[in-house]
Amino acid sequence: MLKDINIGQYIPGDSPVHRMDPRVKIILTIIYVVLLFVINNFYGYAISSVFIILPVVLSKISIRYLFKGLRPILIIILITVLFNLFLTEGEVVYRIGSFSITKEGIRMAAFMALRLIFLITGTTLLTLTTSPIDLTDGIERLLNPFKRIGVPAHELAMMMTIALRFIPTLLEETEKIMKAQMARGADFESGNFINRAKNMVPLLVPLFISAFRRADDLAMAMEARCYRGGENRTRMKQLKMSAVDYAAFAFTALLSAGVVYTRFFFH
Amino acid sequence: MGNGRVSSETLNIKKLSNVRTLTKVAVLGSFSFVIMLIEFPLPLFAAFLRLDFSDVPALIGAFAMGPWAGVAVELIKNILHAVFKNETALIGETANFLTGSIMVFTAGWFYSRKKTFKIAVMGMAAGVVLMAVLMSFANYYIFIPLYQKLLHIPLDAIVQMGTAANKAIIDLKTLVVYSIVPFNLLKGVVVSLITIMLYKRVSPILHS
Repeated sequence: MLKDINIGQYIPGDSPVHRMDPRVKIILTIIYVVLLFVINNFYGYAISSVFIILPVVLSKISIRYLFKGLRPILIIILITVLFNLFLTEGEVVYRIGSFSITKEGIRMAAFMALRLIFLITGTTLLTLTTSPIDLTDGIERLLNPFKRIGVPAHELAMMMTIALRFIPTLLEETEKIMKAQMARGADFESGNFINRAKNMVPLLVPLFISAFRRADDLAMAMEARCYRGGENRTRMKQLKMSAVDYAAFAFTALLSAGVVYTRFFFH
Repeated sequence: MGNGRVSSETLNIKKLSNVRTLTKVAVLGSFSFVIMLIEFPLPLFAAFLRLDFSDVPALIGAFAMGPWAGVAVELIKNILHAVFKNETALIGETANFLTGSIMVFTAGWFYSRKKTFKIAVMGMAAGVVLMAVLMSFANYYIFIPLYQKLLHIPLDAIVQMGTAANKAIIDLKTLVVYSIVPFNLLKGVVVSLITIMLYKRVSPILHS
């Protein structure tokens, strides 16, 4: 069950995109996603494709990985395309039985498929070129201004870092305990729903116990090293904006202006 | 040992418990995310409703460390899910976070008033009902229209998808009533049952 789960998309590298400040990458990704919803015609997509192709080329990441990111949403894309293709009203182009494909339907289907592909490609690029730890770091820094209204930015980032570190450990442990219980005759993959839920108990109890033990050990280790929260903490890796980051901002501003222009002046 | 200075500075009990809570919530969040990966869709329901047991660690966390700890576990789980498996541009994660948090917070709040088994069961029941009610509103007014906006699927099409599974579904309201409400109820009940079965066996280590 857990074998085909592929955790972590990050591909290490030394490209300008990898070296960018995670804060900048997160902000630019958000701007990019918002822009995708501003777009209302295909000219806009032409501009946003520049937006995505340039970092992909610069990052030297194989296109294969980007396609891999698209695979989980293939079904959603398919459903979207089919619904829009057959259920949009307009000038009929082709008829299959009681269904009809309209000109508007084809346009809408292509439009929505492109939106989804652009959306997922952009966010995938962020996770492909930024390690989860850098992402967490970036999120913490971006949340810093909200500390004043009570957002526990540092604690949240610390918990995220710990959680990230424990994913592989817990995955391995889950698999190990599953196998151990299966060797004793436990069955996780058949039976009706209630039975399946019941069968989870012998798996979850040892997992919980070991998870808590690990948490306690970690707390003790942190205490022993005098961990005392985020205040006055110094960092080995300082986040610093470089020329690439400023260039990326300028580039984004230019493309945003282009996209907004296509929305209002092309039809 | 000169206990005056040592105990006031390095053995700060409150801080110690904070770090303990921090690591426990973090590990539970990670655990919850791992469980979330073992999800399976139910044949009777629409494809976008998936069942998983990932709320169990959040519930246990809420019982052991208070309602906000449970919410934090849900938050970590969903951020991890967003970082590793972005599939619906955060809409799915937000919905999941709200669903889980409402249930977990209610149950944890009840239990924090009075720590008995009966109150725990009552809290979970209240949490499940509240969650089903609030989430049907949230789905009707926010999430379904949002999906519609994102994917441009006409709402009739989602309703038709529901009709294929259940004849009584004729419009969006009945879709919510016949598919999302029972799904959330079932999910809540199953998660609560597992938590009940687990709690007594896990609780010694929570309080140690």
